Amino acid sequence: MDNATPNMPEDLVRLLDNELTPEEKAELESRLAADLQLQQDFDSLLCTRAAIRHYGLQQQVSAIHLQMMEEMNEQPVKRIAPVRKMFRYSAAVAAGILLIVGGFFAYQFFTLTPGKVFSAHYQSFELTTVRGTLNESAVEKAFRDKNYTEVIRLHDAGTEPGVKAEFLNGAAALELKDNTRAITSFNRVISLNKEAHTTGFQDEAEYYLALSYIAARDYKSALGLLKKIGSDPQHLYNSKVTNGLIRQVRMLSWQ
Amino acid sequence: MEVIRNFPDSELLGNLRSGQRMEETIKAIYRGHFEGLCWYVMNNNGSRQDAEDNFQEVLVSFIDVVQRDKFRGESSIKTFLFSLNRYTWLNELKRRGRAQLREEKYEKGQERVQLDTSHYITGREEKAEVLRIVGALGETCRKILVLFYYETLSMKEILERTEYETEQVVRNKKYKCLKQLEQRINANPALKETLKNLIHG
Repeated sequence: MDNATPNMPEDLVRLLDNELTPEEKAELESRLAADLQLQQDFDSLLCTRAAIRHYGLQQQVSAIHLQMMEEMNEQPVKRIAPVRKMFRYSAAVAAGILLIVGGFFAYQFFTLTPGKVFSAHYQSFELTTVRGTLNESAVEKAFRDKNYTEVIRLHDAGTEPGVKAEFLNGAAALELKDNTRAITSFNRVISLNKEAHTTGFQDEAEYYLALSYIAARDYKSALGLLKKIGSDPQHLYNSKVTNGLIRQVRMLSWQ
Repeated sequence: MEVIRNFPDSELLGNLRSGQRMEETIKAIYRGHFEGLCWYVMNNNGSRQDAEDNFQEVLVSFIDVVQRDKFRGESSIKTFLFSLNRYTWLNELKRRGRAQLREEKYEKGQERVQLDTSHYITGREEKAEVLRIVGALGETCRKILVLFYYETLSMKEILERTEYETEQVVRNKKYKCLKQLEQRINANPALKETLKNLIHG
């Protein structure tokens, strides 16, 4: 400390407290710049003030902390216990799988169309040749030649009435995407069989009628027939009616 | 009834810099950031008490940084606090002799902060020494010094909060208390170094 200025400690404190006049401040600062000891004395005061401010701040934060803990204790922050962590990870994995599966079914649901279901399960009807082609009727010949328009014309002309002609008329109509005619013909086959207590082309008519209903978006009727076929192991088309097909028709009915 | 509201970062920083509405501002920081910072400590080998102590340290460091005008707004307050929280807690774990955390967990949605604020952090023991040496002063001395240098009250306002007769008596007492504390600090070079770091760090 400068012994020539006995009031210097007070002056330094007044500088610290910003209580000097501008002139006094300028003078003291110039002396500070030139006097290393004086600088160290002032540094010492700055450190002391920093300690007080740190203490004050710490005390204020501690006091507020207590208040805030009371306020926040109603909703304490929770630690994730190991078991809960495992549960959380498992739940996340399960949710992921669920999301993927759900996404898959959602994709199937929204992209499913009656046309897709029909195409996936439709196969053109093929006439068997047990009797040889010489005894073939005109309708049969036209059908074998895939002349579906001629099959329908002959049917409508009524030259060869009967269950077979009726069925071929329905099958030809389905080939020509005339769902309404197909449905009428296949239903007629079933009616004729019922009246005559016969079973000619019965299984074929039921299966192709179900497909015709799908194409015509009459899912309720289609489901009735598909369930009947699916539950009958003796039915010719039993193996073609899978759970997948029934589920797809159900999904179509929900759209 | 206290009105609770959110402060935008700019207003919050302005209050901390000026020292105005400190209580309301500190409470706003608690409401906005305590839970997230607490979560980090509690899910990285810390107890609830650790998390609370750590948050208080972080808050003091943050206010100190802002008041020294070292926070330039390069990041949001949230990011800065998260970084301070992380480094403060890692320091504490090291101090306790534990290995560096192998796995750090982040709250969902929390930014993964790369911001390095480690240089703003003063060790817990050094800070405790500052508190100890000021706390060792008599109650009157502590009160006058804190009211004057931390709460920046005038001598007249301090007079109203003490039992002294005149402002001059308070002023003389404050001077004596300051010199008493200064002597104690000067007698502890390590502590003085800590304080210099607090001022200039």
